[in-house]
Amino acid sequence: MTASESRSLACSRVRVLLEPYSDGELAREDRLQYEAVREHLGGCSDCRLQHEQAISLPFRLRALSSPPPPGSLVAGVMRTIASTRLASRRAWTLLVPEAVLAAFILWYLSGLEGITSVASGIVGDLLGLAGWSSGSGSLPSIPHADVPLLLALIALTAIAGYHLSILIRLAPGGRTGSGRHAASE
Amino acid sequence: MQPVSDSRRWAWPLLIGVLAAIGILLAIADIAAGAKWPNPMSDALVGPGVVVKTGVPASATPGTQTVRFDRTGVAEKFIFESPIGGIGPLNPYQAVRAFLSSGAGLVLLALAGLVVFPGRARNAVERLEARHGSEIAVGAGLVMVLLTLAAITLLRFTLLFLAVVPLVLFVALIASLFGIACISLWIGRLLRRRLRLSNAHPLIAALAGALVVFDLAVIPYAGVFAFAAVAMAGLGLAVVTRFGSAGGWSFGDLIW
Repeated sequence: MTASESRSLACSRVRVLLEPYSDGELAREDRLQYEAVREHLGGCSDCRLQHEQAISLPFRLRALSSPPPPGSLVAGVMRTIASTRLASRRAWTLLVPEAVLAAFILWYLSGLEGITSVASGIVGDLLGLAGWSSGSGSLPSIPHADVPLLLALIALTAIAGYHLSILIRLAPGGRTGSGRHAASE
Repeated sequence: MQPVSDSRRWAWPLLIGVLAAIGILLAIADIAAGAKWPNPMSDALVGPGVVVKTGVPASATPGTQTVRFDRTGVAEKFIFESPIGGIGPLNPYQAVRAFLSSGAGLVLLALAGLVVFPGRARNAVERLEARHGSEIAVGAGLVMVLLTLAAITLLRFTLLFLAVVPLVLFVALIASLFGIACISLWIGRLLRRRLRLSNAHPLIAALAGALVVFDLAVIPYAGVFAFAAVAMAGLGLAVVTRFGSAGGWSFGDLIW
């Protein structure tokens, strides 16, 4: 690069060289270009402004102070950890009432034979319903349900639904999980 | 992209071939074990004994398939006496037929699930691959089975709600199939990592995974439990991930 070329640097070129110029790197490695940039800065107010901003950046960054953590930070983190642990423990312990209720229902329906008869009854009733809707039969007679059985079924449904919600929360990507979906949300 | 060596290039076809061969061998054992409890999959998956008749009026043999060429002899030629006492004859022809029907059906359903819902399948598999993902899927599947059975029994006692039962069962079936498709892909990816195989098309990995599921299902006696566990985990995975949706379950829309 000749001296005349260096002196007539374009603004775009100077912007590229501003960083090594501000660091002092340009002065050490290419004295000629350093002089050219300095001369350009003397005559160009836009580039001078850029230069001033560049050299003031470290000072401005140093002046920034990190915001004080909220007082509830530690308590919030501990509460989140505790709720995950609690949910994890509850996910196991809920199996107990579910097993008890399932055993009660099984006992109430006279074991596997009762379950089979319930299943065949459902199929028979559905076929009867289909026959009635096509006009080839009468409405199936629905069996009477005992209150203890209904209560047990409703309790099992409610507990299983609650159990499922806990498992969904524990699942990776759930509300307390650590998947990428949680991160994105 | 790095060039793939010849040995690694053939690794996937070799693996798929080995899995298919294992499936056929297990199906032979399953057929030989017979339909004794708890081995109902012998009939459900590998089908009944070979009954192919021709030259006989259809009315005379109801339920048999009339075909142009008599293939009964072919099937019978491949039935061998079992070297072990107490179990039925070995029927490799029937085992191949089971593999080509049930195995192909399973693979087809798994691949169809992945082709139709690729994004959802990826979300579901990512959650399955995360920490405790598989345990949560199995647990959720167990809870879902309890919930479905209890709900169906409850619905049974009202005539109006009885009509909803097939819908509930249909949704559970679709969820299980979607879950099995995702589990197939998960197993395929697991095989790739563990066996250090080269990168292949995800459907190839899913094919290998679906073959593993089929192999599990035709293990004599234990197959029914293994397949039930896979289906249950699939149901749980589909429910926990809300069919692999990116947002998952949220009541945000109800709070305003």
